Amino acid sequence: MSKDEEGSTRREFLQQAAAIGASIAVGGAALAEERVALIDSRGGRIARKPFGATGQTLSILGLGGYSLGQAPSYEEAERIVHEALDAGLDFFDNAWEYNAHRSEEWMGRALAGRRGRAFLMTKVCTHGRGKDVAMQQLDESLRRLKTDHLDLWQIHEVVYWNDPELIFRPGGAIEAIVEAKRQGKTRFIGFTGHKHPKIHLRMLELAEQHGVRFDSVQLPLNAFDATFRSFEQEVLPAVGRHGAAALGMKSLGGGGEAIQQGAITVDEALRYAMSLPVATTVSGIDSLAVLRQNLAIARAFKRAMSSSEMQALRQRCAGDAADGHLELYKTTMRYDAEVGRSEHGLPSPKELPL
Amino acid sequence: MEIPRRALGKTGLQVSVLAVGGHHIGDPKTYEEAEAIVARAVDAGVNFFDNCWEYHNGRSEEWLGRALRGRRQRVHLMTKVCTHGRDGALGLAMLEQSLRRLGTDYVDVWQIHAISYDNDPALAYARGGIVEALAKAKRQGKVRFVGFTGHKNPDFHFEMLTRGFPFDTVQMPLNAMDWHFHSFTHKVLPEALKRGVGVLGMKPMGGTATVVKKNVLTGEECLRYAMSLPGVGTTICGMESLEILESNLAIARGFQPLDAAAMQAVRDKVASFSGDGRFEVYKLSLKFDNPETRRPHGFPIDEQQKEIKDEESERAALPGVDSMRTTESP
Repeated sequence: MSKDEEGSTRREFLQQAAAIGASIAVGGAALAEERVALIDSRGGRIARKPFGATGQTLSILGLGGYSLGQAPSYEEAERIVHEALDAGLDFFDNAWEYNAHRSEEWMGRALAGRRGRAFLMTKVCTHGRGKDVAMQQLDESLRRLKTDHLDLWQIHEVVYWNDPELIFRPGGAIEAIVEAKRQGKTRFIGFTGHKHPKIHLRMLELAEQHGVRFDSVQLPLNAFDATFRSFEQEVLPAVGRHGAAALGMKSLGGGGEAIQQGAITVDEALRYAMSLPVATTVSGIDSLAVLRQNLAIARAFKRAMSSSEMQALRQRCAGDAADGHLELYKTTMRYDAEVGRSEHGLPSPKELPL
Repeated sequence: MEIPRRALGKTGLQVSVLAVGGHHIGDPKTYEEAEAIVARAVDAGVNFFDNCWEYHNGRSEEWLGRALRGRRQRVHLMTKVCTHGRDGALGLAMLEQSLRRLGTDYVDVWQIHAISYDNDPALAYARGGIVEALAKAKRQGKVRFVGFTGHKNPDFHFEMLTRGFPFDTVQMPLNAMDWHFHSFTHKVLPEALKRGVGVLGMKPMGGTATVVKKNVLTGEECLRYAMSLPGVGTTICGMESLEILESNLAIARGFQPLDAAAMQAVRDKVASFSGDGRFEVYKLSLKFDNPETRRPHGFPIDEQQKEIKDEESERAALPGVDSMRTTESP
């Protein structure tokens, strides 16, 4: 892409963002309570939604950093990133620990010269350790991502029941993300986790007690979650009350077992997730084929599912959802990564796969 | 010195404070080692034996049954049924198989194994479900008392206890770490005692004994703590060698419960390690969920799990196991 092209895309982006800002001012107060209206974009690009009350907008589909690092080669990962950007997908997820840092390295390389077009998020993996470790990880992430600032920095994998207390202890990771925002190393801050609604609610409660406002909260949202230890029922409204934007993830239930077993189709699952009051849905994409499949669904997504359509899907999935075997991130340790386990004195994924 | 006995709820059974866990009875390399453990325990005054239809794909029941020949009347024998959400008729068929393997025409206590998943209480209580089978087996005299067990979540136990069926016994993990994390001690034990339900404690060292391996508590502190919890009938211990049995027998003989201050001191030692469940992995992971527990619910299995490796070799030795194995969802 020539400098000129990039410049024009950047202008278009800023104009779009400004237009969105205006529409928020009109719609404002209703955003937290109601499902967020899509902001239509032209020219076959995917639709956008407001990123909370920041005035910023995000593409309704985001690119997951973990799966990007699982692509068969750097070349394919690069093509995924470029094709996503060209389709209007601009939310890029990552984490310091993904694939032993390959995810950040590949994403940084692929975004070189295109950084301005991306809304770049990564996550800090202190898992109970303090501010100093967090700030060091931030520098490492910035270096790998080849940028001088993040758009969003989140505390990763808040999945152990004592994590909220460890994060908010004096000298804890919360101090790092607040300071990084003050220093301009990140524009926004948030946290993420996949284990239990009560852990998320405890984070929000402690944030309010400490006068910290998160800009975003990332959480698993799908048609199975809707009736089982439900982030949708318990956490999503609290995120709105906190004044943060919700970032959905695990729209297929994490590993795609629900798809393989025929409990739901990819189209239904993604449309359900994108119909919730979230800013974006982070999607695991490890090949061009999956990218194209998901982009096609996102492009065709012109308006949210109706309430009755969503309710019918929840009901259809409720039986399969009831024991959590399609949401293994809640019911097993499969999705709890190495660094967090080690910091919490738990066996490695190899020793304890589930 | 004798091993003290205690009342088990309202059953009228007097049970030794230490009980022999059935899973570990299937662990030794040879039957002879297992028999030596059983014989020694009975002679020392242990009179409560735990088992389960699915342990080691039936080997635990077979070996215990063989070892109890001529000793059956000196013990209270418990086994568990593994429908895991499937119907009561299957449970009654499993009971017949358990009785055959155990070489007896009745068990003293028959329990629903592994209430492990959020919908297990609802499935157990469903029309035609396992709770109905428990009542039927009791009427038929094939079992004297009935209960349930599980290690996952105190909320599931609480729901089982309060949904209406008059269980005689309940089994749960009771240890010093549990006091601080997703606590059966706080949520389930008082409800069981209020109802006069006999309490069977298990996992005094947290299952993997990580708390001991990390030198936070000694095995003796763990066992003394568990046996001292007010209201516990017996504490079921996995003991796969004579050596381990002897050290536990030494603690159980003439056992006097710890006083409140000593209990508190043990709890304090683990408090700072318990917030994430690191010493009670059965609450976080599927590791302790037998393949037979997972399959009916559609949970994945670990190829490296011992039971999976054993299945191939034991299929031939234990005809009938496969007829009750199923991958169907309830």
